[in-house]
Amino acid sequence: MTSHVFEYTRGGNNEPVPDSDDPVHGKPMLVNMGPQHPATHGVLRLVVELDGETMHSIDPDVGYLHRGKEKTCESLGWHKFFPHTDRLDYVQPLMNNCGYALACEKLAGITVPQRGQDVRVLLMELSRVMAHLIYIGTTSIDLGAVTIFFYAFRMREEIYTILDAYSGHRMNNTYVRIGGVYADVDDTVEALIEKFLAETPARIDEIEKLLSANRIWYDRNRGVGVLSVADCKRWSLSGPNMRGSGLAFDLRKAQPYSGYETYDFDIPVGTVGDAYDRYLVRMEEMRQSIRICRQAIERLKKTKGEDVLVEDRRYVLPPKGAVMSSMEELIAQFKIVSDLRLPKGEAYHAVESSKGELGFYLVSDGTSRPVRCHIRAPGLMNVQAIPVLAKGRLLSDMVAIIGGLDFVMGEVDR
Amino acid sequence: MTATNTRERVAAALEGLTFELVDTRDGMLTLRVPSATVRTVLERLHGRAGFEQNTLVTAVDRFPEEPRFDVIWQFLSYDHNDRVRVETRISGANPSVPTCTDLWSGASFSERECFDMFGIRFDGHPDLRRLLMPQGYTHFPLRKDFPHGGIEPDRLYREWDAKRRAEWGANA
Amino acid sequence: MGSLKPADSEGLGFLATRVDELINWGRKNSLWPMPLGLSCCGIELMAMIGPKFDLARFGAEAARFSPRQCDLLVVAGTLTWKMAEAVRVIYDQMPDPKWVIAMGVCSSSGGMYDSYAVVQGVDSILPVDVYVPGCPPRPDAVIDAIIKLQKKIERESPVRRLLKGPGVIDETGTGRNFKQPNFAFDHSSLDLHPHDPKAKIEELQK
Ligand code: SF4
Repeated sequence: MTSHVFEYTRGGNNEPVPDSDDPVHGKPMLVNMGPQHPATHGVLRLVVELDGETMHSIDPDVGYLHRGKEKTCESLGWHKFFPHTDRLDYVQPLMNNCGYALACEKLAGITVPQRGQDVRVLLMELSRVMAHLIYIGTTSIDLGAVTIFFYAFRMREEIYTILDAYSGHRMNNTYVRIGGVYADVDDTVEALIEKFLAETPARIDEIEKLLSANRIWYDRNRGVGVLSVADCKRWSLSGPNMRGSGLAFDLRKAQPYSGYETYDFDIPVGTVGDAYDRYLVRMEEMRQSIRICRQAIERLKKTKGEDVLVEDRRYVLPPKGAVMSSMEELIAQFKIVSDLRLPKGEAYHAVESSKGELGFYLVSDGTSRPVRCHIRAPGLMNVQAIPVLAKGRLLSDMVAIIGGLDFVMGEVDR
Repeated sequence: MTATNTRERVAAALEGLTFELVDTRDGMLTLRVPSATVRTVLERLHGRAGFEQNTLVTAVDRFPEEPRFDVIWQFLSYDHNDRVRVETRISGANPSVPTCTDLWSGASFSERECFDMFGIRFDGHPDLRRLLMPQGYTHFPLRKDFPHGGIEPDRLYREWDAKRRAEWGANA
Repeated sequence: MGSLKPADSEGLGFLATRVDELINWGRKNSLWPMPLGLSCCGIELMAMIGPKFDLARFGAEAARFSPRQCDLLVVAGTLTWKMAEAVRVIYDQMPDPKWVIAMGVCSSSGGMYDSYAVVQGVDSILPVDVYVPGCPPRPDAVIDAIIKLQKKIERESPVRRLLKGPGVIDETGTGRNFKQPNFAFDHSSLDLHPHDPKAKIEELQK
């Protein structure tokens, strides 16, 4: 397993000094942050007990965006749940689609054709870039660097343009299906993606140039929210948070899916495990994603015209063209949409999402009604870690901690 | 991460305890254990088999069967790069299982969520409150006998609203 | 300003218009939105403020996160009953005059979430001026909503409201009619007619 290790020097001790000669010292105060607060990235509420400016206890209150997704899956059925998976972690809709589709495929026991897998890898990596851009845009705006927000959104707009050309909508694309993807990439999209891939590394560099050595960014992130690998394991953290602490564990390499084992990419890891490390890891992950996208595009060029959907009329939708012209296919389409029956049993599949391990645990009893669809949300674990990281720090560090952990409330609350 | 290795390791760790292997579609090692020994099983998995991370704690409602709830734990070992799933069946009347937050701190929110959604108590959990639904809510949404549209979904809001209106009327 | 006329032909630099139109002109071109990004639509809202769509062209880019500074509430995302209290408080904290855009099908009608936790449309808890369908609506659609809202503001009669209490536009029966801490006027006379205040207003206008 090849991996990148960042080396950078640090100076000084960044631990906060308890304000003992402060007149309010020793008089605890309860402060409510949220659920509508610009720094909480959505509708998270934090009840913070302060002594002076030092946080003593933090109680994250989630559920302000609990939309009942798991119940929805149980009442709608396997196929109709797809649009709801987009809206889980809404900064990376296609990643959630793929995760859910992979879990359903495990349950059904079908494999996606090679081209379908490559398209999925391409979409998942674009989603990762999208999600990390939201991280960098919103966190930097919270820490006072407004320009980065505009830079990040300019790049996101380009991905939106690609997805728009590809699927007809900017976000929440619902593009993946059980057994593959809905339709193939055409030349227009390929050209757009290639243009994006050519331009993006320079733009990531641009953001890094503005931030990495920026005094404010560096001071507000360095030494804030330090996590050891043991902490990460104990608190169920995964993904970039885990890798920021120095453990090179990536599900794409460790438990590969969708043919990730055949791609060439590195896992960036941090050394200290603070918010700054996590930032560096995410920036490098974007570059690695671009690298994977390039390989995927090369493969897609070679396999032009091949199937992107497996042919299996028990679980997989027939192609749209066939539905319009053949009665049998129309019936198959109708049956799959309204009454898809996955085999009895249970299956868990996890993908490496931009926030960590995004898992779907599905239980079927062989009828068209799912028994259980549990979504293992990495974001919930990240929120859970806020009190661990924030305890004893100053209130103003909270913004950096929340930003560094990176979660999206749609997925935390489900 | 060969399945046999995991099975042998787990079997060695659980020596002397009864468990049953369940056939699953994803091929993950899945143990069905009686609810009386589930705590011991979890302790052994943590201590002896080296499962360092809790991935999820959830439940499956088998209503109208009785015993009704399947409680599911799933763990990940980083050193061995493998997973294990533990299931136990408990009854629907006053359902409870022992907590595992002292072994894996990260299970805390998952257990709270499971309590919130199914009403299953995790004995020994330090702070067992509702996680997602508001604190005054009285139903358990993911139970199968709970309708998708909900039971009085707006009750708490309406109560709050009525109180607020009454206050304004008094102050004016 | 619709009926802007030079006051005299000598060109001394005076312009005459109706006070209403002057106020409306000011209000509609300097909307300060309170971006209530609750979920996915919030990301599109950010994209709208971002470089490509550039809301500044419509004078509505001064997004402030304090409701006290805002006059346009953009509810972007799924509203749950747990969140409803907070949203209602935010709405109450906004100073008059205030307008609401329900962005996306979730906030317009509950959308795809017909479930136990979701409010079936924000209009169950507060009055809405413009509904924007779409899941999420494209930023163009939201910009169109802002233009529509500007047209609506143009038709309001702020002077009459200032002199005689609230106009007809807000009386949707969803709770604007009773005394709120922020209200500058005593609307108690309207309280009697929460759902059909027109008769009362006509009476007031005589
Ligand atoms: S309308 Fe669609 S995009 Fe907007 S919040 Fe609702 S689900 Fe999300």
